[in-house]
Amino acid sequence: MFLPMSPTAGPLERLWHVVFSGLCLAIFAFLILPLVIVVPLSFNAEAYFTFTREMLSLSPEAFSLRWYRELFTNPQWAAAFRNSLFVAVGATLIATTLGTVAALGLAKLKPALRASVMILLLSPMIIPIVIVAAALYFFFTAIGLAQTLTGLILAHAMLGAPFVVTTVLATLSGFDWNLVRAAASLGAGPVHTFRKVTLPAIAPGVISGGLFAFITSLDEVVVVMFLASVDQRTVPRQMWSGIREQLSPTILAAATLLIVASFLLLLFAEMIRRRNEAARASTHED
Amino acid sequence: MSAPLSAEQMAGASPTAMPADIEKAARRVERRQAFSAALLVLPLIVLIAFAFLIPVGLLLFKSIDNPVVAEGLPETLTALQSWSPADGLPSDAAYTGLKRDIEKAKAEGTLGVIGARLNQDTPGARSLLQATGRRLDATTDADPHQAFIAIDKRWGEPEIFGAIRNAGDRYTLNYYLNALDLTRNTAGDIIAKPEGQRLHINLFIRTVWVSALTAFVCFLLAYPIAYLLAHLPARRANLLMIVVLLPFWTSILVRITSWIALLQKQGVVNDALASLGVIGEAGRLALIYNMTGTIIVGTHILLPFFVLPLYSVMKTVNPNLVRAATSLGASPFTAFRRVYFPLTVPGIFAGSSLVFILCTGYFITPALVGGQNGQLISNIIAYHMQQSLNWGLAAALSTLLLVMIGIVYFLYTRLVRDQR
Amino acid sequence: MTSLVSLRGIQKTYDGKQLVVKNLDLEVSEGEFLTLLGPSGSGKTTVLMMLAGFETPTTGEIVIAGQHMTRLPPQKRGIGMVFQNYALFPNMSVAENLAFPLEVRKLPTVELRDRVEKSLAMVRLTPFADRRPSQLSGGQQQRVALARALIFEPRLVLMDEPLGALDKNLREQMQYEIKQIHARLGVTVVYVTHDQSEALTMSDRVAVFNDGIIQQICPPKELYERPGNSFVAGFIGENNRLSGVVRKIIDDECLVEIAPGVTVKARKVGVHATAEPTTLSIRPERVKISPQAGEVDTVIAGEVESVLYHGDHIRAHLRGLGPAPFVVKLPNTNGAAATLVAGASVSIGWASRDCLALDLMEA
Repeated sequence: MFLPMSPTAGPLERLWHVVFSGLCLAIFAFLILPLVIVVPLSFNAEAYFTFTREMLSLSPEAFSLRWYRELFTNPQWAAAFRNSLFVAVGATLIATTLGTVAALGLAKLKPALRASVMILLLSPMIIPIVIVAAALYFFFTAIGLAQTLTGLILAHAMLGAPFVVTTVLATLSGFDWNLVRAAASLGAGPVHTFRKVTLPAIAPGVISGGLFAFITSLDEVVVVMFLASVDQRTVPRQMWSGIREQLSPTILAAATLLIVASFLLLLFAEMIRRRNEAARASTHED
Repeated sequence: MSAPLSAEQMAGASPTAMPADIEKAARRVERRQAFSAALLVLPLIVLIAFAFLIPVGLLLFKSIDNPVVAEGLPETLTALQSWSPADGLPSDAAYTGLKRDIEKAKAEGTLGVIGARLNQDTPGARSLLQATGRRLDATTDADPHQAFIAIDKRWGEPEIFGAIRNAGDRYTLNYYLNALDLTRNTAGDIIAKPEGQRLHINLFIRTVWVSALTAFVCFLLAYPIAYLLAHLPARRANLLMIVVLLPFWTSILVRITSWIALLQKQGVVNDALASLGVIGEAGRLALIYNMTGTIIVGTHILLPFFVLPLYSVMKTVNPNLVRAATSLGASPFTAFRRVYFPLTVPGIFAGSSLVFILCTGYFITPALVGGQNGQLISNIIAYHMQQSLNWGLAAALSTLLLVMIGIVYFLYTRLVRDQR
Repeated sequence: MTSLVSLRGIQKTYDGKQLVVKNLDLEVSEGEFLTLLGPSGSGKTTVLMMLAGFETPTTGEIVIAGQHMTRLPPQKRGIGMVFQNYALFPNMSVAENLAFPLEVRKLPTVELRDRVEKSLAMVRLTPFADRRPSQLSGGQQQRVALARALIFEPRLVLMDEPLGALDKNLREQMQYEIKQIHARLGVTVVYVTHDQSEALTMSDRVAVFNDGIIQQICPPKELYERPGNSFVAGFIGENNRLSGVVRKIIDDECLVEIAPGVTVKARKVGVHATAEPTTLSIRPERVKISPQAGEVDTVIAGEVESVLYHGDHIRAHLRGLGPAPFVVKLPNTNGAAATLVAGASVSIGWASRDCLALDLMEA
């Protein structure tokens, strides 16, 4: 991970090079260690949040799947996983559809108008989530959407859509609009053109935007706290209670599962991004 | 919309006679294109309006909306119209009005709500109103003034009527006064709250301070790794990028759980330090459930938001500029200071304002690892929403927080513009 | 030949202020190869876009094969189009790209396969059927684009600078190939380019655009030999310009005074009356050095400023004839250039039919 060093570097520069590399290593450790540390801790046989002496001496009895068993047999956690998945899938579908369509419209708007519409569309990303959640609580209570999964899905779709808009717009900026014209000149109507030409071209943006919307919903806890009833609790909401009320290593097991899930999602997103970049590079190479 | 021009009309048009028509026709085409583009954006705007703009607008409206007392005690307020606490006790008409208002509220079951509203400004007003409501009966009709004082001697002091009158405006700035640690004395003048009750200003200051500190720590940590990522060969940079992105993709709750496992008194860090003998058992460090915890975890969560914009700016810096500087005789350090660093300043602005803005709205982290002194403004908003149920105050605090974010955003756009 | 395409009274503005195309009337005959030539921003691409249906004319109407097309969306026009940078669908193979217009037209699978195969054979890309466009060279991509625009047998094919992205050798080869296909299929082609040699070699007729107006529309040879105005003379090939005043008009010739007392005879093209200012245009290769008596109509003295060696020909810049250097182009044969030395005084001359009196060139 080290930067190449100039062969003419003096001793001072060499020293700085070592210091700089060490510094970067420490910062990367700061970023990644907290995630890595959870994984072995979740296999603790004891109800501790830290490494026991036995774990450090790697004795097999110190490790167990106890907390995973607890996680999978506890009906509350099971309900939480179900709710999370249902809400996240629903919110992602809505956010991806509306966000993609909106990005297609935005790409054709005049730049000045587009800028002001973008501020409107992206404002949910900046406004503190507590304000959004409190506001939704009042409004959804008034119209009967509070304590419904529909209300949660709509709220999460609203929070996820800006990600879809930005990623799809970014993909569209490299899109050759002549392809749409070519399809029309070859006789294809707008719907057929969208399905066969536009959508495949912007698919990487749509998918990574959708993934973002998905993890946004999966990670969201504050709106859930204000809007959901007890049996509509999601995984993060369940973890919130766990952290607040009884700190049990079950949370570590849940956390480990979520880390693995986000790692897989991230790899998927990176794969799509790279494939897209490679495809672009090869079309522009001549 | 008018019908398209017919063929004859168009064919008969000569270029010199046309400009107005041509202009109109061109506008029409332009309008039609803008319209069809807008139609695509519309569904999302509807969703955002429905699940964001309208709710937030209504919430902010609550910060000045004050219907409870105005609608609950209308006769009392009419009688108090020309009265001021300096006049001493109000006229008998006020007591008569208050009696009728209380009886009506009792019948409609709104007395508790009115009491709760008055309680926000005058502690004890709720129980006073409830007790009075219970003990009012036909005998009070003769001389309501004396009857009220007989029920509770507080009715014989002007302060409570001052409080009713202050709370009686249909629209009020009182929530904002409260949010800014100001209050009205019985004469209705705006004064600072007593020393011990000034919570909010301190919280705002703490929020700004924590956000600025977090942004600065993020800058210190982000700059070296963004530099490394921008200058490594693509393959290795991509691999390391995953290390930056993984925390970004991982649930905040998960990361907080990890930090608790690491930082608590019986956690991994303290255990390690203790077993190494750096600290004694008694001297275990309080790294979490305080401001330190808020800042450590906040930095971890927000660091990617600083690295990514900074990285993309660094990628655009032409490496030949630094080469040119050294070929002109600058030492590597001077070349960095005079050429490279100034070119990355836009990335620093973008990263720090993003981190600052996100941090001012932080709720989850301080709520879970902030302990007593690590709470931020969002937490007090949630407190007033969920526990004290003072929604007007929560709305006023929200508005002030939004204004603060708006100012920071405005300053950021100004900075960016001046950079150009 | 019957007219296939009629553009009548077309005007186009995007912003409502500036006309990009001004009052255009144009007929394209069945089977014709018509090129729209002009500098960028001259309106030629806009005309093509209106024909294809991607832009609507602000005023005027478009009739193709007797059918009013002005407000018809592009997918209903049945016009083939070859785009700049090809616009091949990157997510489809070559064969899928070719099949696309046939699928849209719901052709039976058997016939579709057959047509795709024939089309691949026509552009000699049969082995590349399953490749993605990004795996092809520029020339191959160009041939796919061409085949795709022709496969549904449109009567009219539009080409928007199709060879602009190719290097010189490939471009010349593709020009030849497009001409071949045009001759074989008898399809009508409207071709847009800013490359004059492409326009001259490929077209039946060329329409020269400038400033939203067709300056001249005629076969290539006429365009070079008899440019209608000074813009066309300057845009197509090289020319020397001398300004002067018309002194006398005799039938289709006129006498023009280019300097006090110096009068030359010229063919009358853009002048109408005596005392009118005019620009004379003379092609560099029509100028003779040290002409024999009777060989030319006009003889003038000049001084050689510089001589440039070009291999197959020699160019000399002469001083003393107007403000700009006067260019002479000589074929490099048996020491023709011997007399041409910088600083030497020479006499030059030309036939009056090679000297055109055109409208006054502005600026």
